[in-house]
Amino acid sequence: MAPKKDVLLQVRDLRIEGYSDEQWIEIVHGVDLTLHRGEVLGLIGESGAGKSTIGLAAMGFARDGCRISGGSIEFDGLELTTTSESDLRALRGSRIAYVAQSAAASFNPAHRIIDQHTEAPIQYRIQKRVEAQEDAMQLYERLRLPNPGEIGFRYPHQVSGGQLQRAMTAMAMACRPDLIIFDEPTTALDVTTQIEVLAAIRDIVDQFNTAAIYITHDLAVVAQMADTIKVLLKGEEIEEAPTEQMLDEPKEDYTKSLWAVRSFKRPQKARPAGPDAQPIVSVKGIEASYGKTKVLDDVSFDVYPGMTVAVVGESGSGKSTTARCITGLLPPTSGEILFKGEPLPPRYQDRSKDQLRQVQMIYQMADTALNPKIRICDIIGRPAQFYSGLRGTALKSRVDELLDLIELEPSKYYSRYPTELSGGQKQRIGIARALAADPSFIICDEVTSALDQLVAEGILKLLDRLQKEFNLAYMFITHDLATVRSIADEVVVMQKGKVVEQGPKDEMFTPPHHPYTDLLLSSVPEMDPNWLTSLLEERGTDQIGEAADV
Amino acid sequence: MGDILQLVLRRLGLGLITLFVVSILIFFAVELLPGDIAQAVLGQGATAETVAALREKLGLNDPAFIRYFHWLGGALTGDFGVSLVSGERVSDAISTRFRNTLFLATYAAVIAVPLSIFLGIIVALLRNTLFDRVANVLTLTSISSPEFFLGYILILYLAVKTNYFPAIASLSADMSFGDLLHRTFLPALTLVLVVTAHMMRMTRAAIINLLASPYIEMARLKGVPPWKVIVRHALPNAWAPIINVVALNLAYLITGVVLVEVVFVYPGIGQLLVDAVAKRDFPIVQACCLIFAATFILLNLAADVGSILTNPRLRHPK
Amino acid sequence: MSNFVIVYYALLIAASCLAAYFKKREIFILVFTLTLVSFFMGIIGGQSALRFITTAAGLLAVAAGMSYAFREFLILITPEGVAKELRTAPLTAAFGMFVICTYAIAGIFAPIIAPFGEAQVISSAFAPADETMLLGADQLGRDMFSRIIYGARNTVGLALLATMLAFIMGALAGLLAATKGGWFDQFLGRFADVIMSIPSLIFALLMLSIFGTNLIVIVIVIAVIYSPRVFRLTRAVAGNVVVMDYIEAAKLRGEGTWYLIRKEILPNSTAPLIAEFGLEFCFVFLLIAGLSFLGLGVQPPTADWGSMVRENATLISFGELTPLIPAAAIALLTVAVNFVVDWMLFRSSGLKEM
Repeated sequence: MAPKKDVLLQVRDLRIEGYSDEQWIEIVHGVDLTLHRGEVLGLIGESGAGKSTIGLAAMGFARDGCRISGGSIEFDGLELTTTSESDLRALRGSRIAYVAQSAAASFNPAHRIIDQHTEAPIQYRIQKRVEAQEDAMQLYERLRLPNPGEIGFRYPHQVSGGQLQRAMTAMAMACRPDLIIFDEPTTALDVTTQIEVLAAIRDIVDQFNTAAIYITHDLAVVAQMADTIKVLLKGEEIEEAPTEQMLDEPKEDYTKSLWAVRSFKRPQKARPAGPDAQPIVSVKGIEASYGKTKVLDDVSFDVYPGMTVAVVGESGSGKSTTARCITGLLPPTSGEILFKGEPLPPRYQDRSKDQLRQVQMIYQMADTALNPKIRICDIIGRPAQFYSGLRGTALKSRVDELLDLIELEPSKYYSRYPTELSGGQKQRIGIARALAADPSFIICDEVTSALDQLVAEGILKLLDRLQKEFNLAYMFITHDLATVRSIADEVVVMQKGKVVEQGPKDEMFTPPHHPYTDLLLSSVPEMDPNWLTSLLEERGTDQIGEAADV
Repeated sequence: MGDILQLVLRRLGLGLITLFVVSILIFFAVELLPGDIAQAVLGQGATAETVAALREKLGLNDPAFIRYFHWLGGALTGDFGVSLVSGERVSDAISTRFRNTLFLATYAAVIAVPLSIFLGIIVALLRNTLFDRVANVLTLTSISSPEFFLGYILILYLAVKTNYFPAIASLSADMSFGDLLHRTFLPALTLVLVVTAHMMRMTRAAIINLLASPYIEMARLKGVPPWKVIVRHALPNAWAPIINVVALNLAYLITGVVLVEVVFVYPGIGQLLVDAVAKRDFPIVQACCLIFAATFILLNLAADVGSILTNPRLRHPK
Repeated sequence: MSNFVIVYYALLIAASCLAAYFKKREIFILVFTLTLVSFFMGIIGGQSALRFITTAAGLLAVAAGMSYAFREFLILITPEGVAKELRTAPLTAAFGMFVICTYAIAGIFAPIIAPFGEAQVISSAFAPADETMLLGADQLGRDMFSRIIYGARNTVGLALLATMLAFIMGALAGLLAATKGGWFDQFLGRFADVIMSIPSLIFALLMLSIFGTNLIVIVIVIAVIYSPRVFRLTRAVAGNVVVMDYIEAAKLRGEGTWYLIRKEILPNSTAPLIAEFGLEFCFVFLLIAGLSFLGLGVQPPTADWGSMVRENATLISFGELTPLIPAAAIALLTVAVNFVVDWMLFRSSGLKEM
């Protein structure tokens, strides 16, 4: 893939410091990096690994509150750490370009897309305005944007997210740079949109033989894009190897553990049989709307005791709205929700204390789900006190018991505040708070999507154990099909407020599928480096671009 | 453009309603008087006949809401009734003074607005340097000082001790424009000092807020030179906050003007209001309050309409 | 050229050379700017201007030293958690706290500190300063110094009372509106809009002209004028807290409104609310001072800084500083509170303002 083997970028012992609490703290501890012309390097790591900071440093740039404190960055023979700011500026945009995570926020809302595109080529006197615009249109065409002749004359907010991300890639290409830094370019996109952007980026980088640093936290994505993968952890390099080798035989324990994450899978349970088997929660034909826009249309499904129903869909599919209807936060406009055969009042204000107790919720963002000013013991203790009237030592022993259940040592965590805990620990506290009410049905809203993969796996295992222990029913809202595969018994697929398909998990994962389920399933990147290529061949190129980008 | 027109019209409608409610408030506040106006004006010692006579003269025997519409109708045509103290028509007392006040406020605004926006942008660019910190302390000090403190300091050092400017800003009809500017320089400067500090701080905050957005970082990563980042990328998005800052501070000038007029014995509407309050001359108080409130509401309205019109997302709808 | 001028410039230039030698860029810029300003001022104002600059610089240095010492003192006497916060306080904030403490002491112990009573006539009108009267006498022959001390009690006390009343009304309404939402929220919001669409001084004048100028009226009127501002801020702060998932969790648990406000929302809104209290205090304080200055606030013979400026204003035309002293007292306290608030706002916003 990399025909010319001369070195373009050579980073040695890079150290970067960040300013916090009135002092400079080192956040990148001596990273080395070598990139040849035309080569794509994948930087992978969990949040806080310093990936973006390193990516920006490759442009000689440090964000406000950060500084490059040591090491050397040599770009095509030029030492960037000692180059003046104006010389560095001359490099940026022309020889090194940057593609940011959120295209919607990174395009200036006040100017048309094409004017932002042509800014760099005009400034560097590479092209005149008209030439630059024509070139932009050609790039748009190569990136398979719809209406390449016209789309650039729109303002950023008039264009969809996936298209904007491709327009930004085109903008990075405007001066035909030697190196492009891609900083999580598809993280904010839905899986079906992600595919086109990935394909577009890979094509164009290939065509112009541009070198790239591809930053992401998603292994399967980086496997499609990179020639070489470098794994980072907390600002240090763990290991680096060519993609195939890295996927097949990772050396370090940390890398192996990352690779192994998706292996957790528990056997699928079947619905209880017999005439008196009754679903614990039964959603019957609910419809709901925000103002005039209808967001749920005839949604029905059942959840049986001790089982996990995964509700899957992309953003805007109505899966979280369904949860809001069940909890009573958003009363449905028609249809009803039965709990153990009894209809639940649509508004939570009208429900009895016992009805409220039975249905509990675990949230996606543990940071906002736990009150930072309340101690752990009170967060967990309050439901026990509120519903069961526990006081004094009885309450304390109940809290201890709950902390034991979520595998946090009571003596250590009892009187701490949430801010002193890690992300995974906070999520465990959220689980304990739900358990404290002694519920029979728990809604898990994307509980693992904000967590790093290893931590997420721990949470899934914990939820599974608790389910067996207390015969809990889960409604598991997620967009991540890997999670569905590992823990679901039944799957409900939603699209635009409707249930597209539902059934037992094994059935759902074996063809034939509903076309949307098929699109969803096939769009999830796999750890095989040839996955994207073969998928594109399978779908045929004409489909790309129209697939889901409506 | 339909969206924008609708938003602007809605905002204008809201402004009108607010003005209407405020006029009700101003009128009926006087109705809260223990007893009524006639009693209050004549005092406890007045005989029943004189009170009744005055009541008749002021038309107080009509129901309150009829008098309100009468008053509002008059106010809309520039007729605010008759002063209780001097018997002069309120509109006569107000008209020249209102012009004087407007002149003073405009004088201050013409200096303060460009100066503070310029300084605000500079301070935002030099943020977290020594210059920024000194500016922060100075502007905070200026904001914290009452107008009369600044006014008297200026009088002491620029009028009494050095005689550069007159301490009392009296006006006469036959003054040349240069003379006028010289005479009213100290009150204008006092207003400028207070308002500039406010505006500078708010402009700084607005610009810094903007400079943190991802598209500014993107522009810098495209190699756009710093001046162009500000002029081409930040400024088109900064109009809305800057317009707001300006309008808010012009509105603030209105309050400041009352105190400054008293300090410099300037024949403006503010001083008239203060005198009228002391003498409990309600028609004048009501008229002045309505004029001040209307100006205030109009400025806020202008700010909102301005930010709607400069918002790129609204100007180019989907 | 006198020796003073030579020594003055020699010192400045030596200091800038030293700063340049030790590569202290900021200090160099500061000293060099001072030198340039001195040149400029010296040419216009002569030697007296230079003396003024020296005095000002000296005063600044003393204030800085004092603030530093006061901060260290506070760090020593406060418990560990507070002391840690205080270490991050800039000198301006320390200066602010120092001034606030001084005012508090002056206000609380006014009868002990002041040598004379607040309405006690002890000499002729506008008598100059002597050993018994540190700042001379006012227009009725009362001791200025004693009246300023009493003013700390009256003016600040009144402003504090009005601010607290405004705060209780505004904050309570704001918290309720954020928690309840719906039409209740809408109604309060519109109501606040109307009150705030009348400039505060004008509104106060209107009300005072109707109800007369006694202290209770002033406190209530000011509380009514400022409570919408507190309401808006509290509503906004609480609005940010209310959308958090932990509030949703508590609501779904079936908790009542009062529990939500007390246990979940209030603990997460205290920092901005305290800062807002400081800001509101400044506004109220300046408004009361302004009203008194116009003769419509605190009525004689009560000692009050605003009215003291008004009563002694005629002295200005004789080049006397006296009327500026109460005005400076007002400005100093407002500056002090603003310095502290500025620091607190910076702390609570984290380093976002970078």
